[in-house]
Amino acid sequence: MHLVKRDDPRAFEVLYERHSGAAFSLAYRMVGRGNVAEDVVQEAFLSIWRSGARYERARGSVRTWVLGIVHHRAIDQLRRSSVHDKRRASDEGIEERVEARERTDAEVARRDEAATIRSAMDALPAEQSHVIELAYFGGFTHTEIAAILETPVGTVKGRMRLGLEKLRNSLRMLEMPST
Amino acid sequence: MTTPARDHDQWADSLGAWLLGALPEDEAAGFKRHLDECAICRDDAASLQVAADALPASAELRTPPPALKARIMAVVEGEAELLHAAGPESDRPQRRSWLAWLTPRPALAWGLALLLLVVGAGAGLLAADALQGGETITAQVSGGGRASLEVEDGHGRLVASDLPAAPDGRVYQVWLDKGGASPEPTDALFSPSSDGSAHVDVPSLEGVRRVMVTDEPTGGSRSPTGKVLLTATT
Repeated sequence: MHLVKRDDPRAFEVLYERHSGAAFSLAYRMVGRGNVAEDVVQEAFLSIWRSGARYERARGSVRTWVLGIVHHRAIDQLRRSSVHDKRRASDEGIEERVEARERTDAEVARRDEAATIRSAMDALPAEQSHVIELAYFGGFTHTEIAAILETPVGTVKGRMRLGLEKLRNSLRMLEMPST
Repeated sequence: MTTPARDHDQWADSLGAWLLGALPEDEAAGFKRHLDECAICRDDAASLQVAADALPASAELRTPPPALKARIMAVVEGEAELLHAAGPESDRPQRRSWLAWLTPRPALAWGLALLLLVVGAGAGLLAADALQGGETITAQVSGGGRASLEVEDGHGRLVASDLPAAPDGRVYQVWLDKGGASPEPTDALFSPSSDGSAHVDVPSLEGVRRVMVTDEPTGGSRSPTGKVLLTATT
């Protein structure tokens, strides 16, 4: 289904308003620099616009779909730029700086949700959370992670899967709402 | 009971990496093909997807700057205007009668600018390198930066780096020169990223001799009015 007709910028603007915060947050977390995160979000939303926002409900919520596109664009950015090397050197993306601003109820809920997921991540064995961080937020491939950690590729893959299984189970116990 | 796909053992341990986007492109494509025929992996993927989908929500909330929205909406509104002008059924690049291109001044100015660019650059600067399964054409860029046109299955993609920003209040627009009096406009409007990079899909290249980019008002133009940024000869 198309969420936005290509001659309806206002509908697109609503989509942007609704999801740009999460999109920018994810992009920033991945690339670690505001101007690069802006580029990622711009590319992602323009690709959504140009595709007529072709969304398949079976693949999850609209937010999950938008963030999936942002994630792919950020990985592209990381893999084609020197940002990757800089992040690799400093591991800077792990620390976060939250901008002070007025919080709406929705934002408070989002922050609670973020805290819940981080808590579930923190509960993972360090070697599992580390490979998930490097893969999902760092944009590294399994072979790159194996080289970084000096660990066999098979072990890295196993940690990724085990980590996701434990994370899923934790989220079930915490009764996380579907994202 | 479901019969596992023949290559299940080969791919089963890649599921976590695939969900996290950590497989290289060729491996990811192979895994996706396997997923299409392996019910076990599909079930496992569906079961673990909830964990992968939760990860982005763990990022601290940040507010995108208003200027980002302004940039995106300028392109969106510009493209919507072009589509609107082309009619309700149109979601494709506009095609105009060549008679419409006889509007003298902008076309003439554009032609002169292009002529100067091409003469100044010299034919040797427009190089085409044939590649297996596609073609990459090096574009001539004026004003700094690099660009190439990647051609695959009759469609193109402009990939550029270090481009100058478009002048204030203007965006770049892609044009298709088919040997007529003036080039045909497309709805491909773009602003380079802050590092000067741009990736722009170009519509069908059938009959196209040259792909060009000029700076134009935010909504784009029906005939070129700005300076030629780059040309790629197909």
